[in-house]
Amino acid sequence: MRILVIDDELPTLKMFVLILNAMGHEVLTAESGEQGLEVMRAEKPPLVLTDIKMPGMDGIEVLRKIKEENQATEVIVITGHGDMDLAIKALNLDATDFINKPVRREALQGALSRAEERMQLKHDKAVALNIFLREDAAVIAVRGSLSTASESALKDAFRHASRSRVNIILDFAENTSINGAAIAVLADCIRSARADGCRIAMAGLSDNFRQVLDVMGISRQVTAFRRLEDVVFP
Amino acid sequence: MLRPLAKLNLKNKFFTYILAVILIISCVIALLARWILVSGLTQELELRGTAVAQSVAARGASFILEENIPELLGLIFDEKQLRERKLLVDYIYVENVDGLVLCHTFTRPFPPQLQGANPLGETAQKSVRLVRVGQQEAYDIAVPAREGLYRIGTVHVGLSKEHIDSLVGKLRVMFLGFISAIIIITFYVSHRLANYISLPVVRLTKISDDLSRGNFDSAGILDLPDDEWKMSDCPAFSDSDMPCWHFDDQMRSGRLQQEGASQRRCRTCVFYRKREGGDEVAQLTDSFRNMVWSIRLYRRRLSESENTYRSLFNSGPDPIFVVDCNTQRVLDANPRAEEVYGFSRAELVGMEFARLGPVHARECFRQFADGDVADCVRTPRVIHHRKSGVPMFVNVNACPISYRGRPAIIVAATDVTEMVEKDAQLIQASKMKSLGEMSAGVAHELNQPLNAIRMGSDFLAMTLEGGQSIPPGQFHQVVTEISAQVDRASGIINTLRSFGRKADLFDEDVNLNDTVQSVTSLIHRQFLLHQVDIKLELTDPLPMVTAQDNRLQQVLFNLVTNARDAITECRQGQEHPPRGRIVVRTFVERDKVCLSVTDNGTGIPKDVMDKVFEPFFTTKVTGEGMGLGLAISYGIVRDYNGDIGIRSKEGEGTTFTLRFPRTPGATGEAQGGKV
Repeated sequence: MRILVIDDELPTLKMFVLILNAMGHEVLTAESGEQGLEVMRAEKPPLVLTDIKMPGMDGIEVLRKIKEENQATEVIVITGHGDMDLAIKALNLDATDFINKPVRREALQGALSRAEERMQLKHDKAVALNIFLREDAAVIAVRGSLSTASESALKDAFRHASRSRVNIILDFAENTSINGAAIAVLADCIRSARADGCRIAMAGLSDNFRQVLDVMGISRQVTAFRRLEDVVFP
Repeated sequence: MLRPLAKLNLKNKFFTYILAVILIISCVIALLARWILVSGLTQELELRGTAVAQSVAARGASFILEENIPELLGLIFDEKQLRERKLLVDYIYVENVDGLVLCHTFTRPFPPQLQGANPLGETAQKSVRLVRVGQQEAYDIAVPAREGLYRIGTVHVGLSKEHIDSLVGKLRVMFLGFISAIIIITFYVSHRLANYISLPVVRLTKISDDLSRGNFDSAGILDLPDDEWKMSDCPAFSDSDMPCWHFDDQMRSGRLQQEGASQRRCRTCVFYRKREGGDEVAQLTDSFRNMVWSIRLYRRRLSESENTYRSLFNSGPDPIFVVDCNTQRVLDANPRAEEVYGFSRAELVGMEFARLGPVHARECFRQFADGDVADCVRTPRVIHHRKSGVPMFVNVNACPISYRGRPAIIVAATDVTEMVEKDAQLIQASKMKSLGEMSAGVAHELNQPLNAIRMGSDFLAMTLEGGQSIPPGQFHQVVTEISAQVDRASGIINTLRSFGRKADLFDEDVNLNDTVQSVTSLIHRQFLLHQVDIKLELTDPLPMVTAQDNRLQQVLFNLVTNARDAITECRQGQEHPPRGRIVVRTFVERDKVCLSVTDNGTGIPKDVMDKVFEPFFTTKVTGEGMGLGLAISYGIVRDYNGDIGIRSKEGEGTTFTLRFPRTPGATGEAQGGKV
């Protein structure tokens, strides 16, 4: 896969080249937002990794420009460690994922593989939401990316689930990404379901997004499990 | 001639002078009188002798002619023996024309030495000559005896010299007695006179002696018997707050105007007066009395003022020393000094002042030695040592005075250790706040090297796990980058630590370039992210200044963040804001080491320009700034004898310039590369 990395830090850029090459990707680099956009227009890579904090044009601005020019381009933003405000801001601008600095190999690999899967899903036009019933609960399986487009589907799924069972499990695929608007809808759904007396659990969400849900206060309303099989209601 | 008299007292002088003058006058009179009287007497007796001789010559002319010797003899005996004349007339004899003695009154043979002893000239009327007759001397008077025109003989009358001398002797004794009497009377009179004249002067002298011994109250001059005046009548005597302006013309011209003229002066002075009449001594006495009174008043005031200042000295809340300029030793110290410094007074007196504060003492003495410094010198935050060796901070006020005739300095030291410590705490607190503000930026800054390191090591691990071999070029690249990034991270941490360190209380030599480098290395990337460029224009080498790097960093940080805020504020509402620009300059200007921070932000409005250094003054929204930054900065800069200047134009930007005196003696060649 061809990946464009935008970062003002030359050492970081160098490391990105080495490590992404080692992972078998083709790497384009840019040292500033402006340069990144130029490369982007010229090369049209499907995936862009951009630092957020940069002198001149910052990552948010780059993200906005890229999304304006080509909605389909996947953009993963690199944020400072624990800077969730910026991460959420980026997600609201339809960034597909974010990686914390310092960038760990696993996180990078995860983000890249999620992006690849998402691209595949998008390509296959697979259905994002599925409901099936377990003995003790209704399971909502989420695949691909949840975005503003999936708002009504999400609401329907919750309505169905809460009608059939008291307990609801949100089962996220490893590659799931949720954008800002979708998070808001999700939070809304969970709140109303709880108000109806439902208990909600979730499973399988990547650490990144679990962090986002933490910050949004959703984690306190639901119990999180690693896998669907682990979910047990008291 | 009069010099031996100079040692005499006035009375004796008067006495001597009067006596001498009278004596000289009487002597002259006596001599004159004696000369006149004696010569007159002699002449008179001569005249009488001549008369006798002429009488004999007239009456005996016929007898001579006839040579009637018995008659002639009878005549001359009659003449000689006539009453008291016999004492005077010693002898008479008559010669004829041929010089032959016709008769004589000697009861013995005619003494041959008389023959021709007193010849009479042919035409002479008279001849007087002193002749010797036996054992005695006599004045021989010869007159001619005539018959018609012819001379027929000569009559000689001998006047007894003994008799004349005894008469003169009597006269002399009389004069002597007279003069003696005059002397005795003069002696007495002049003695009384001298006494009378010199008595007031003697009294004044005695009083002056009393005064000079400091015995003002026993001096009798104010209590002269003729005085109806009482001390309590003078309001200035009992009320020393109201000095007697009557005498004090100097003060009257200056201070009286300010204090309101009339109330400070008695309408009529009950004391001061000068009698119209009286001689010079009486005038002197009056002047003297006025003088004594005025001295008395001033002595009272002086002693009151002395007591006031002595009690101020003793009860003052701050240690006060009197230090000799020449020996540099302590001459006196107040009780508070004992308390604060821990030395006893006996130890303090005579101690070298440098023992209390070596650096300051040296500076202080140098300052007073260079030319005459008439004013006090104030030195803030000087380190002094207690007896125990514990240092403390004092603000020192040194004033030159004259103490017991010697040039000295009054040194008042206020213990401000607590204040300095509080100050340090406040600065530390503000620094911690700055650190807090910086933390996000610093975290980001620290994340960069960590990121590169992490990715590098991950790359190594990944390739290793994948069983691939790493090309040596790549391996080297990664390893070099990792160690470079570790250095970078530890650099950031060092700067942060030095910034956050609590400033110690001692000053050092600081190169402002170092300060600038430290601060900007912490923040410049962060500022870049805010679209603010920091440009450095450092003069190298730069002279040292005496300060604390740590606190100066705080000042610079405050200035730079203020500049950034001004730029950010300027940007608000602008569609395409220009890039922010902060220029930090170091330079030397007229013996001052300067540091300036220029921004292109909003600028400071004129009306708040002089308020910006006030504590808690802020133009920022509530919650964003405490308004302490510039106040603290100002305090710090003033602590190092520096000052802050502002030049600002609204809408164009602001320049803050710090000026510090250069450290004397330091070369300042240190390079500004240390971060």
